[in-house]
Amino acid sequence: MCVCSRFAKTTSTVLLVAWSLSWGTAAHALDLLNGDFQLNGFASLTLVHTTDNNFFGQSDNQISKDFSELGVNASWRLTPALQLSAGLLSRRAGGTDDGGVRLDYGLLDWTPMSSEEGRAGIRMGRIKTAYGLYNTTRDVPFTRPSIILPQSIYFERTRNLTVSADGAEVYVERYGEGGTLSASFAYGQPQTDTEAAKVPLVGLNRPGSLDSKLAPDLQILYEGAGNRYRLAFTALRLDLKYQPGYRDILQAGRFRLTPLIFSAQYNAENWSLTSEYALRRTSITDFGPYFYNGTFNGQSYYVQGTYRLTPQLEALLRYDAYYADQNDRDGKDFAAATRLPAFTRFARDWTIGLRFDVTPQFMLRAEAHFVDGTGFLAAQDNPNPQALRRDWDNFMLQASFRF
Amino acid sequence: MEKTPAIKFATSLLQLALLWLLASGLVLGVAHAQSSEPAMVVIAHPAVTEDSIPRATLRAILGMRLQRWPGETPVKVFVLADETPEHTTFSKSVLQVFPQQLRMAWDRQAFSGQGQYPEVVPSTQEMLARVASTPGAIGYVKASEVTPNVRVLKIR
Repeated sequence: MCVCSRFAKTTSTVLLVAWSLSWGTAAHALDLLNGDFQLNGFASLTLVHTTDNNFFGQSDNQISKDFSELGVNASWRLTPALQLSAGLLSRRAGGTDDGGVRLDYGLLDWTPMSSEEGRAGIRMGRIKTAYGLYNTTRDVPFTRPSIILPQSIYFERTRNLTVSADGAEVYVERYGEGGTLSASFAYGQPQTDTEAAKVPLVGLNRPGSLDSKLAPDLQILYEGAGNRYRLAFTALRLDLKYQPGYRDILQAGRFRLTPLIFSAQYNAENWSLTSEYALRRTSITDFGPYFYNGTFNGQSYYVQGTYRLTPQLEALLRYDAYYADQNDRDGKDFAAATRLPAFTRFARDWTIGLRFDVTPQFMLRAEAHFVDGTGFLAAQDNPNPQALRRDWDNFMLQASFRF
Repeated sequence: MEKTPAIKFATSLLQLALLWLLASGLVLGVAHAQSSEPAMVVIAHPAVTEDSIPRATLRAILGMRLQRWPGETPVKVFVLADETPEHTTFSKSVLQVFPQQLRMAWDRQAFSGQGQYPEVVPSTQEMLARVASTPGAIGYVKASEVTPNVRVLKIR
């Protein structure tokens, strides 16, 4: 209740500020200091209805309003070589996120090297993790192709581990005749201090805590022919240790997760085709007899097409597949070892969607997911795995505003 | 569970359809690039020393990545609103980037703390006035509307 009212208060304040800012000026961002200081923001509300299982709150055979996003960010170009930026985010997402305001990113970007052919620099502070094509702006509705990103790669339930990290990132860009080649390497501390980060790895109601080593993150991106082609490779390594709590049945276990992501996108004038493939090497060790230890490769991919029917209307079709273990795609070995449903180890999601840009500031979206498997569902919203249903549909409506 | 073969079939159909779309899009894209459109030119503040600029550099500047001219003057980018014919034509024929791709690139940077938006001006008159009076400024107008107090940059 307290969280809801706090959220409502924040929402209304931001909407009021946004409204007063946009009133009387055509510009959608606030520019001060000759445009060197910019303030932007967004807000979204979503209705979720599922035929079975819960997604973003109690959605099973009812309508959940527990998914909303609210963000404000500011940037200040101090000199041509220095930019200071910060973003605040309040996100409610069923049992996985409570709407508490947090620093999404906050960084100093220094670009000491710059010429006609390229530039190089370093970002320091809390930095958005480069992870596939969509991760750095994953909570900004206007930058997503759909209401929720393909869950096989951009899990909502494990998002906290990959959303941003505290550390530094060096980057190099080269502007060539054919296209732009960019590379970035970040080294930082992922955020592991929340229940939302812990639950998807060790389960509900565990008294212990997770610690992470500094995580390296490499991304190489090629954008050719004026962004018609975008090709990327991402490699990330997470090394997490579990510190058992009082009377914990789990021992001091270790997770090592090494996702490799291959991304490709083709953009024509009225349509785009995007595909990403991820190989997720996962090693779970030393948790003791009451946990599923093992080393396996997870596999994820999606193929997505969007088509602009009119300048304001865009249609989406996507097939998204997730397998926790590519040698146990149907989850039978897992089910035999754990007595949990086999279908919690995969998810195949056919998605159709429609985006309507009412104005450049206001967007409406409708989306339907037809899913086989429950691999990406959050335990917080579905505490009893035996109550899960294998085949389920998910319908969502979203309204988003930005300034 | 019975729908697995159906899904497999649908997947292959989808793959075929997408391949066909990709192929036809490539052909259309090439055809499009060759068609002629009203000439837009790049303009800059008169003190900008260059008189020509590589297209790749221009893309990096309009993409809000490159922030300074050789000689350290800060770059200041002016654009017209996304839906104006001038912006669309400039994006497509001079920059050779679809305007929605440019918008996406700005959004990605502005909302991750990696860059800022260009300044949107309401009219060509305002564009000319701001580019003429702001050191390091860059923008665009129709070739027929160039005034003597701005510098025209050729693409090389």
